[in-house]
Amino acid sequence: MSQHLPVLIVVVPLLLAPLAALVGNWKAAWIVAAAASWWAFGVSIALVRRVLAEGTISYEIGGWAAPYGIEYRIDLVSAFVAMIVATIGAVAIIYARTSVRAEVSEDRGALFYSAFILCFTGLLGISVTGDVFNIFVFLEVSSLSAYALIAMGQDRRALTAAYQYLIMGSVGATFIVIGIGLMYSMTGTLNIADLAERLPAVADNRTIPVAFTFLTVGITLKLALFPLHLWLPNAYTYAPSAVTAFIASTATKVAVYLLLRFFFTVFGAEFSFEQMQLDKVLMPLALVAIVTMSLVAIYQDNVKRLLAYSSVAQIGYMVLGISFASVLGVTAGILHLFNHALMKGALFMAMGCVMYRVGSVRLERMKGLGKKMPWTMAAFVGGGLSLIGVPFTVGFVSKWYLVQAALERGMWPVAAVVMFGSLLAVIYVWKVVEVAYFQEADPDDDIREAPLGLLIPTWALVIASFYFGIDATTTADIATRAAEVLLGVGP
Amino acid sequence: MDDLVVLRVGTKILIPFILLFALYVQFHGDYGPGGGFQAGVIFAAAYVLYALVFGIGNALRVMPAKVVYACGAVGVMIFVGTGFVTMGLGGVFLDYNVLAHEPSHGQHYGIIAVELGVLVTVFGVMVAIFYAFAGRRRLDP
Amino acid sequence: MIEFVDVALLVLLAITGVTIIRLRNLFAAVMMAGIYSLLSAALFVVMDAVDVAFTEAAVGAGISTVLMLGTLALVGHQEKKPRRPAIVPLFVVLVTGGILVYGTSQMPPFGHADNPIHQHVAPYYLEESEHDIEIPNVVTSVLSSYRGYDTMGETAVVFTAMVGVLLLLARGPLPRRVLLGGEWRTVRPGTTREELRAEAAHALDADGSDGDGSGGTTPGSPGSEDIVGEQGGKHG
Repeated sequence: MSQHLPVLIVVVPLLLAPLAALVGNWKAAWIVAAAASWWAFGVSIALVRRVLAEGTISYEIGGWAAPYGIEYRIDLVSAFVAMIVATIGAVAIIYARTSVRAEVSEDRGALFYSAFILCFTGLLGISVTGDVFNIFVFLEVSSLSAYALIAMGQDRRALTAAYQYLIMGSVGATFIVIGIGLMYSMTGTLNIADLAERLPAVADNRTIPVAFTFLTVGITLKLALFPLHLWLPNAYTYAPSAVTAFIASTATKVAVYLLLRFFFTVFGAEFSFEQMQLDKVLMPLALVAIVTMSLVAIYQDNVKRLLAYSSVAQIGYMVLGISFASVLGVTAGILHLFNHALMKGALFMAMGCVMYRVGSVRLERMKGLGKKMPWTMAAFVGGGLSLIGVPFTVGFVSKWYLVQAALERGMWPVAAVVMFGSLLAVIYVWKVVEVAYFQEADPDDDIREAPLGLLIPTWALVIASFYFGIDATTTADIATRAAEVLLGVGP
Repeated sequence: MDDLVVLRVGTKILIPFILLFALYVQFHGDYGPGGGFQAGVIFAAAYVLYALVFGIGNALRVMPAKVVYACGAVGVMIFVGTGFVTMGLGGVFLDYNVLAHEPSHGQHYGIIAVELGVLVTVFGVMVAIFYAFAGRRRLDP
Repeated sequence: MIEFVDVALLVLLAITGVTIIRLRNLFAAVMMAGIYSLLSAALFVVMDAVDVAFTEAAVGAGISTVLMLGTLALVGHQEKKPRRPAIVPLFVVLVTGGILVYGTSQMPPFGHADNPIHQHVAPYYLEESEHDIEIPNVVTSVLSSYRGYDTMGETAVVFTAMVGVLLLLARGPLPRRVLLGGEWRTVRPGTTREELRAEAAHALDADGSDGDGSGGTTPGSPGSEDIVGEQGGKHG
């Protein structure tokens, strides 16, 4: 049993997804989805522990040895990302029971949960596989289901948002598959470890830099790195609350993982950053993303859209970390993956609570919510503090590493931009806090606190974002070791 | 109605051959080109042809929407389930060798099972999507 | 000879592609798309990828044409004139194409036996398949066994497509949910603002206002969020 864990994290949910569609009614489908999520959550924890104890795990599917068959290869980075996806999935599914029941029509319930499991499975599949074509296959599973899930939003504009995402996402996926094809034509292999070995010999051929370019553009489209982020704000704004919370904390994170995997493992840091001069492109884009997107966020009056722009800015932080190509920088990027998943999950869930009771997340409808929905708004403030990067929150930890990485390279202006980004975050978080706590509510409204079914998962993430902010040793240790694995230094 | 008679008779003659060809593609996949995916699509094409000529109502009586949706789901379960069976028999996931005493026979069984899964899913999905499109009314007349 | 067929097919493919872009009649465009698939299938045959050709012919030229015709039956046959020429997309496409040409210019020549793809993994498949799996068609043994897991993933992709389409289209137009009078209700598309207001006022059952098939009498910018915003204030 335990030797099969690497594959079981994916195939058990994959077996349950069609089952959820078959059972027909949403309650049963929810139970199936919850079983899938919690199963994956448990397995992901076990995998992280095993990788920490024994090092990289390899599982040869079908019994065929690595370059001939498909291999699951789980190192610390894979295991960590899979754990993030599984954790958020396990929390989001609890949240979904109440939230989706409100926002999604009942006759779509069973299929909705089936799509949810598929999305979840796809993301897990991407993070644990050791084969580039397999990455593409699972990317398709997760993307297709994500489009459908986003279209289920209660606003009609969800359809256009999903369509926009579908077009951009398909372009991204096509670029990725072109990149994979070009790599295959030069090496004759699809296995990541094998590619890493065989690519340097052919790296001077034009085909490989072009493959690299296509992969980078394709993944950054999925990642919504500025200026390819245009699909993201609408998708996050109009998707059902539970979907936004789940996708915002996982899909872009997995895309960041793909960047890490291709830059550092497949092509190698030397090729990516010295031959291709990647940092010269990524760093300016990341810095522009941090500043402009935070500024745009300030001017939003739909809070979900505000948070969506803030996500684009936060993606900037992760990519900035990667662009240093140093252990400290990559550590910061990986840490921020986890930390941002926690805080954005919490924030979007808090907005889902508001949606549940108010029916809208527009700023003018949130007057006085601080009194009427104290727990919800307290959760928002908690997540907001983390977004700003106040000490004792996870946001502080990742920014601390990021600033250190910048200073290590002597790039103090970059460190200053990171600080400035926090300042901007203060403004947009305060904007919401001001309306919720310091403006009088309409006395006629009889808005109550959100139900526990929504508050418990929300607070679980808020508490986690404080816990890992105060005691960052576990996560920082894992992230550092993961960065060392990627950069090929250390053990 | 009457002017469709050539079409109807022609379709009636064609469909059995298309279905037979689909079966050929499915089971001859070991020797010639083809396999579950292609066979599923050809099956679906025959069925869609039937629905186009004889009306969606008749098609729904042959195979109600629920059955078609179930096909789409069951095929995936057959494929993934095969993997679980191989694990249960002591192999790794999708290691067909353990399905029979002789590894190559096991491979044959495994391939037949997963190709069946692919066939069922592809057929179900194609027809389900067709139903979904055909069942809609036009929005702006 | 083969080169001539290649060139002829590719030229036809390019002509068809440009024609599809330029056509404003969607019915004709769908037909051309079918031809495009058939030409691609022919190209795959020339490249000895018979399995792919098979699929392309059945799916691309067959089923997807039927599905697109089904869509046309819902949305009409004529495409609106674009408001302005799409300069930026054209630029992006040209750059992408340019990079692709640049990238493939040093690619190993097609079908050459010394190519990396024929040197590394493929020989193993060709030599061992007979012994490992004992079926003569190596394509099948790669797809179903050596890389069977990918095929499983692809089956899941196909299933996902079904789930997605059914979520959007099954059982009539997609119903929306709105918060009315402190309770979440289902609203069928086509419900007007006034109807919604009346419902909010009387807190009637939302199911009474069935869509009249006119696909949203509140088209354009004011989405249901605004509707909810308006009536929500009035309630209470």
